[in-house]
Amino acid sequence: MRLVVATCSVTYTGRLSATLPEADRLLVVKADGTILIHADSGSKALNWMSPPCRLVEGPSGWTATGAKGERLDIAITAVHSDVTTALGGEPGLVKTHSEAEIQGLLAGACDCIEEGLRLVRREHVTPIGPVDLLCLDGRGRAVAVEVKRVGDIDGVEQLTRYLRYLEQDTTLRDVRGIYVAGTVKPQARTLARDRGIAWVEVDFDVLAQRRTPELTLFEG
Amino acid sequence: MELRCERDVLVEALATAGRATASRGGSLPVLGGVRAQLEGDRLFLTGTDLDLTIADAITVAGLEDGVAVLPGRLTVDIVRALEPGAVHLNTSGEEAKIASGRSQFSVRLLPADDFPRLADAATEEVTLDAAGLADALRQVVRAASHDDARPILTGVLMAAEGDGLRLVATDSYRLALRDLRGASVLSEGQSVLVPSRALGELTRLLSGADTVTLRLGQRDATFEIGDTRLTTRLIEGEFPNYRQLISGSQANQLTIGREPLLDAIRRVRLLARESTPVRLSLRSDGVELSAVMQDVGQAQEDLDAKYEGAELVIAFNPEYLADGIEALAGDEVSFEIIDALKRVVLRSPESEDYLYLLMPVRVS
Repeated sequence: MRLVVATCSVTYTGRLSATLPEADRLLVVKADGTILIHADSGSKALNWMSPPCRLVEGPSGWTATGAKGERLDIAITAVHSDVTTALGGEPGLVKTHSEAEIQGLLAGACDCIEEGLRLVRREHVTPIGPVDLLCLDGRGRAVAVEVKRVGDIDGVEQLTRYLRYLEQDTTLRDVRGIYVAGTVKPQARTLARDRGIAWVEVDFDVLAQRRTPELTLFEG
Repeated sequence: MELRCERDVLVEALATAGRATASRGGSLPVLGGVRAQLEGDRLFLTGTDLDLTIADAITVAGLEDGVAVLPGRLTVDIVRALEPGAVHLNTSGEEAKIASGRSQFSVRLLPADDFPRLADAATEEVTLDAAGLADALRQVVRAASHDDARPILTGVLMAAEGDGLRLVATDSYRLALRDLRGASVLSEGQSVLVPSRALGELTRLLSGADTVTLRLGQRDATFEIGDTRLTTRLIEGEFPNYRQLISGSQANQLTIGREPLLDAIRRVRLLARESTPVRLSLRSDGVELSAVMQDVGQAQEDLDAKYEGAELVIAFNPEYLADGIEALAGDEVSFEIIDALKRVVLRSPESEDYLYLLMPVRVS
């Protein structure tokens, strides 16, 4: 990984032409050949070139040529910093608590949503899509549970639509809804209350720790 | 480059090399291509994703030597779809023309200069019986992990063991071990970790072959089967200590017919979808297999078996259980059991060369 802070202007010539007037910027050259040009704000690069591309450094700047002949001409008038560091292999982003994982955790611990709640089925099918969890409460009434990592009003709308279809199912008795999320936003709480839907916030980290670990050959 | 070749010969070689090409979306588009190099009447085809490389060579009617990188998947699909008979392939500039009978295709080539330069194989070689290695790989590779987050477990350990070679794979839920006696490939104490994906491809290539030549380098291993060469990078890292798991005899022992048990698992697992385990209730007069799916139903089957030990119920992932039993040779399979929560050793009473360890699943 090479990081160069330089005063530069950039001209891109390819499917379209684009220019960046002279300013101080960060130039990034990655080990696989990726070139990125960043300003001191925003998460996205101002311009970039994906590998494979050929980078030629000259006395007045860099020229990168892509596989289809597109060019990035970087005219450099001053270099303020030039650092190269080998980063090695990238293990990749590990996402925790995906909605599928949360749904699985809740399916095995419905009592943390409401005492006495029992799972009937995951992904209960309705004509407009599957409800995350269909449960029975302590009095034998059907409960539709919609699960989100972050509970906004879209999830309440979604659960409302499911409930409309589930109410037509004569095999279910007095179906009601519970909206479950790590955090439920104030607008979603208000809308849920207006629609007669309960909402519950669950700490998914605590829930994950409650899970009994799988038996493996090399642990425990 | 210009050549003629029988469709079936060309498509087989292209498909073989193409199995190592990178899938779409990689950072180097040229890795989606198959490099074709014609020298006289020999056409050398190479595909690589930088981890795995497969090269094949076939005899064709060469008309003009040259090198080109063909779009791998598309070229295979085109050649396979042509009418049987001779295929004419001609590349010039950035284009390849593929013609047969009244069909003509032109496809854009990938830049040959971007194709990676591949390292030469090590010079020291060992020759192995292809059928024996293929059998061993079929028994072991199945236990390797597919989880790229645990790269060491995606490999198969190849280690010197006595006068032979030991293959071991585990995904931490099961472990398969096979000894190939007399196959002295590695020096004493030496071991390498070979990606299971590469060994899966090797198993395909070994079909019908008599021998396979192995060359081990510092960072890669090359297998040569006739005109086909498969090279894979080796995985760096320490394989889990499996020896502690395979020592000692267990208190409870079940011996049961292999085919009847497999058939019963296939039936019972119809009610063991998703992650539902299959339960084995072990009694002195036999075994009961059962599976229960909440709100769906249940399955149950009794089997004759010889069981010595305490009565207990033990549950397994049905897929992993069937995998192990399928891999065993012989008419019977024996289970060596400590208790319902500890590893179980499966082996054939007729052969000591293979064993399969399986962890039970907790059930309430």
